[in-house]
Amino acid sequence: MLDHLDADVLVVDDGSTDDTVRRAVAAGAIVLSHPFNLGVGAALRTGFRFARDRGYPVAVQIDADGQHEVADAKRLVEAVTEGGADLVVGSRFSAGYEVGTLRRLSMRMLSRRVSRYVGVPISDTTSGFRAFSARAIARFASAYPTAYLSDTVEALLLAGDLGFTVNELSVQMHARQGGQPSSNSLRITYHFARLWLVLGLHRFRRPMHRTEERVEGPA
Amino acid sequence: MSRLELVVLVASLLLLAFIVEVVRRRRLSEGYALLWIAVGVGVLLLGVLRPLVDRLSRLVGVSYGANLVFAVAIVFLVVVCVNLSMHVSRLEEKVQTLAEEVALLHGPRAGTAPGATDATPTAPVEPVDTTSSVGDDDPGL
Repeated sequence: MLDHLDADVLVVDDGSTDDTVRRAVAAGAIVLSHPFNLGVGAALRTGFRFARDRGYPVAVQIDADGQHEVADAKRLVEAVTEGGADLVVGSRFSAGYEVGTLRRLSMRMLSRRVSRYVGVPISDTTSGFRAFSARAIARFASAYPTAYLSDTVEALLLAGDLGFTVNELSVQMHARQGGQPSSNSLRITYHFARLWLVLGLHRFRRPMHRTEERVEGPA
Repeated sequence: MSRLELVVLVASLLLLAFIVEVVRRRRLSEGYALLWIAVGVGVLLLGVLRPLVDRLSRLVGVSYGANLVFAVAIVFLVVVCVNLSMHVSRLEEKVQTLAEEVALLHGPRAGTAPGATDATPTAPVEPVDTTSSVGDDDPGL
């Protein structure tokens, strides 16, 4: 993967006990390790902080299990560098992404809610394939929702609050090359109930982001 | 509507309002809020549906409806307490691990490494063991 992309690759090891770290290092990635499992959102925030401290102009969030295409990552980056967007979401839908009826309905509901809030149609609100501008990196490094589903959906609402230019691009989606999908119907129900509460209360809540602008590094 | 029903109604609405307010101020995570909102709605329903409570208590052999409510409430609160204790235990474990990590990240204090007068480590830094992986960090539900 590193050969096809003119970029540094950061792997956040979220308390893994297998040989993830060894293999990531062997592949030439920069590896940061969490002392224990904190979830995708926390890994993402670690990534934002790393990118902010090192002054990266663009960051891409990409799945580690090979579901995303590197060529698409380039397009997402271009949407930031040339398109002037702060947050670009890679949508899986137009690429024939198949999901069950219940899941499709809830995703459509999320899409309507988020699109209305950020003022731009976002069809795939739970996509974990995104690009961020330096401005987004700086703001998200200091405040970012880390809970499951919040790290994708609520983050878009936060982007709306921060006045970010949000955009969406269609991307390819592959079957995962390894690892187990995390799903359990009771758990999913709980997470959706939680998300429903988050979305319902969002506009009334104390803002998650700090109001003062942080002094940024080279961008 | 009896006076008791009114009192229960007001109490449960106050609980719900309080929960929403602390979530709004980001003092309570949404996961726990969900639990307490469910409790608030449950209490509200119990207050309004007293005939149902009475019938249910006769069904399980409790002569007085309120006793059933007390029994269920006590069991529920015990479960919540045990769950919170487990959660706190896990947090303590994590805080300890974090403090240890910070100590290791700082490295030996200047002049305390054996045979060294400067702060450079004498042995190569070994990778930190990450075996204390915990599966999830969802609030107890």
